[in-house]
Amino acid sequence: MTLFDVIFKGNDAVYGLTEQAIDNAIAQYGEDKPVAFPDTAYSLPCYYAVTGTKVGNLGDLKTALGVVKTLMTRNPRMNDAFMSGVATALCAEFIEVLKYIDGAAPYSEPCYGHLADAVIRELGVPLVTGDIPGVAVILGAAPTAEEGVALVKSYQAQGILVTLVGGIIDQCEELGYKTGANVRVIPLGKDVTAVIHVVSVAIRAALIFGNITPGDAAGLMKYTMERVPAFVNAFAPLDEVIVAAGAGAIALGFPVITNEETFRVPKSLIVQKDVSKFNATSLEARDIKLKITDIDIPVAFASAFEGEIIRRGDMQVEFDGSRVDCFELVHNKELSEVEDHKIEVIGPDLDEFEVGSKHSIGYIVEVAGKSMQADFEPVFERKFHSYLNCIEGLMHTGQRDMIRIRVSKDTFNAGFRLKHIGEVLYAKVKSEFAAVVDKCQVKVITDPEMCTKLRHELAIPMFDKRDERLTTLTDEGVDVYYSCIMCQAFSPSHVCVVTPERLGLCGAVSWLDAKATNELDPQGPCQVITKEKVIDERIGEYEDVNEAVRKFSQGALEDVSLYSIIEKPMTSCGCFECICGIEPLSNGVCIANREYAGMTPIGMTFSELASMTGGGVQTPGFMGHGKHFISSKKFMKAEGGIARIVWMPKDLKDQVADRLNESAKELYGIDNFVDMIADETVVTEDPEALLAFLTEKGHPALEMEPMM
Amino acid sequence: MPFTAKSGKFNAKINTVEVGTGDKAIKLGGENVFPFYTFDDAIENAPKVGIEITDGGMEAEPDCVQKLYEGCTTVVDMAKKAVTFDGVDFLSIRLEGGDPNGKNKSTEELIQIVRDVADAVNVPLVVCGCKNVEKDAELLDKAAAALEGKNAVILAAKEENYKTIGASAGLAYKQVVGAESAVDINLAKQLNVLLTQLGVDSKTIVMNAGTAAVGYGFDYVISTLDRVKAAALSQGDTTLQMPIITPVASETWTVKESTATEEDMPAWGNLEERGIDMEVETAAAVLAAGSDAVILKHPESVRAIKTMISELI
Repeated sequence: MTLFDVIFKGNDAVYGLTEQAIDNAIAQYGEDKPVAFPDTAYSLPCYYAVTGTKVGNLGDLKTALGVVKTLMTRNPRMNDAFMSGVATALCAEFIEVLKYIDGAAPYSEPCYGHLADAVIRELGVPLVTGDIPGVAVILGAAPTAEEGVALVKSYQAQGILVTLVGGIIDQCEELGYKTGANVRVIPLGKDVTAVIHVVSVAIRAALIFGNITPGDAAGLMKYTMERVPAFVNAFAPLDEVIVAAGAGAIALGFPVITNEETFRVPKSLIVQKDVSKFNATSLEARDIKLKITDIDIPVAFASAFEGEIIRRGDMQVEFDGSRVDCFELVHNKELSEVEDHKIEVIGPDLDEFEVGSKHSIGYIVEVAGKSMQADFEPVFERKFHSYLNCIEGLMHTGQRDMIRIRVSKDTFNAGFRLKHIGEVLYAKVKSEFAAVVDKCQVKVITDPEMCTKLRHELAIPMFDKRDERLTTLTDEGVDVYYSCIMCQAFSPSHVCVVTPERLGLCGAVSWLDAKATNELDPQGPCQVITKEKVIDERIGEYEDVNEAVRKFSQGALEDVSLYSIIEKPMTSCGCFECICGIEPLSNGVCIANREYAGMTPIGMTFSELASMTGGGVQTPGFMGHGKHFISSKKFMKAEGGIARIVWMPKDLKDQVADRLNESAKELYGIDNFVDMIADETVVTEDPEALLAFLTEKGHPALEMEPMM
Repeated sequence: MPFTAKSGKFNAKINTVEVGTGDKAIKLGGENVFPFYTFDDAIENAPKVGIEITDGGMEAEPDCVQKLYEGCTTVVDMAKKAVTFDGVDFLSIRLEGGDPNGKNKSTEELIQIVRDVADAVNVPLVVCGCKNVEKDAELLDKAAAALEGKNAVILAAKEENYKTIGASAGLAYKQVVGAESAVDINLAKQLNVLLTQLGVDSKTIVMNAGTAAVGYGFDYVISTLDRVKAAALSQGDTTLQMPIITPVASETWTVKESTATEEDMPAWGNLEERGIDMEVETAAAVLAAGSDAVILKHPESVRAIKTMISELI
């Protein structure tokens, strides 16, 4: 028999029973006898939601059964199977409503049967907020009562709402396990048809919280699929009726997990022989993410501890990347390679080290998720510094393979061990990046040989690969740019357009950062800007970019170019790391960084330049930018590029020298270009002296076209 | 050359949001011109004025306000009295006693007050939280449930608790959802988008885009309101077309101009007048910047602002 045959057979059986039950009821009470569930405004909720028709009496019910019959098509196709599943569920609803005829109370302690609208409103809010992360429907009897109760308990501990149908209810009673709506374990009823009462909850949630119009079956199924995080755990043995009802659950988007060897449908009908793994399998199948509310460590965790210094005398143990092999790493893996919340310590723990000694450490946070991308690795990794420093009595400095960690004696004595580093990283990565991280596991390694090996064979090659990715990312090589309006609170009309070769002017938002921000917070400050409609390649002007700038500046800005300082230059908020401005005599530009307090050959200090450049206005000839932009091949490309740079403070020159020289070599074939650029040690404010210096060095700007 | 006036009416308009039920129901928003620009186009719904009481009752009020509620002993007495003052369009009950850092009254106690007040008056209601986001999530969720069918404004959902309050007030109990952000057009917009994505009908959202007393960073409030209205009308930004409701009293009656005694500040003149002045000035300015409703405390302020509105519209 195929799966289709089983479903159809089960559906036919239930249909037969329903028809008979309705006919008997009509024979007994007559067609005008009212039928209804108590305390609901939705008539027969499931039937009403699917068809848009309310059922008032037995006669209506008979008509409704005719409608159900039309769903029961018998082609061996998925849709027929799903619709037969829905038909089975509707039949179950009809059978159940007959139990309530004449105001009867068919269910008694501990079973609930039908749940009132008020209960759904109350449960709906935490479901929408994720405070109830999922709804488990447990059907049948577990192999043993202990296993059944353990499963119920595991869901309950995660805040998941548990509903019980059939043998599991007796198993809970047998072991004296407390059930009830107040503890979020709701026994519905012992007949399999009682499962409709939880389906009815899901469906009324869609009507109430999803504004689904009754009768819009497609919209209903889309809503339950996307927004109602329910799943079914069906214990063996499964009969045809259960399989048919399961098809109905699957049609609503609820996967069925069973321990019976039966047909398998990927992501929908999952066989898990080990009942103790039902929980993990179910959560993964339904893509349920649990909220992490507290971090399980023996000391405090708060930003108040971020700046804490641990002196040598107070130190229990130290890990020092400048002396021995250390590293920290985020590694993107396949979902199947990661076991959520697995924390592994490899090598000796803190209590095996001598007080005040120095050791190797490496920690790898392995993450997996359907929307996870390798590009996010460095974004998460950069947060480790802040996460670890929030631990009371732990100091972290540096990044990548140049980290240093000290743990204080007090913290050690409070019971802090290496696994707690794993707990903190797990909890923070899982909660802050919930949008992309589905699973996370942490390895903390102190075995010195393993640290050495992993540092050189895993970490460093990954760092190199990331650096290479950054340097090879070009504006031409990507399909989209990003807006950043993080600063609009104080600079209302400013919009940064962040491209791979032009990072945000604050220096803190690279294209990859903006991309990650957008994925993690889709309504946030970084939005996708397409770049399909080029207006002028030379100055980097695009119709789409202009549209975005107009929109995000609320109309204050009309158009911007990405690569020109003269024509429609990008605006500046006030956070710029550097300002560059035209120096007319030499035909070039001077750059001043924020840290530089002295005078520039333009005749203005950084703060004087800042007052002209900031505030979200376009000031041709002046531009705020990040330090990294200085060595970019797109730096005022429209005016001839970096060859225009004639003056920079010495400090800044030192910071950008290597990369700037490299770009100049590549663009113009000039060696040691930075040496041609003047600084405050040569000239501070006299343009004539600047010109003389540049002439002596043969600076390329002197030969270039006038800028204005 | 003859002068031809150019109309400044926009194609876009602010959403009309009804609050309350029956004869006393009010409509907020609906305009397609800048605030009070009646020369550009008619403004169908004049800005509305609400009066505020708190769960603290008489003792929480300044002396000058207590005087006007003379004879009242309970919050319900005050509610009945408040709606009789001239010009009151709606009643706001602020549950400030719920603040865990203050009196930390239980949710049950406060919700009972909300119920009693709702039973005692027939004007539209606004329920304000205690400004603690966690407590508000619980408090306003229950308030929304308690006021089912009253079409009240639940003020307000913030970024931290919008899911609970939005789901409860907007989806489960069909109230009007207040969306509160802190003086930043982008945050205001983001919250509206998030609420809408949650499933809340955008036509049942009102904004509190931030508030302050005059002289207390008030310029930011005004420029934010200005920009919100400009984006909503001139750019047709549908995510900012929600009417704005601004709680004024809770800001102005706590600043030193309204609290310093005449003994301490003899040069400042009469304390009651100062309090009213601060309230009226703040309210007049936020209305002129685009607020569609204000919430005030002193009946004299209500009368003054109501007069201003009727003179201008």
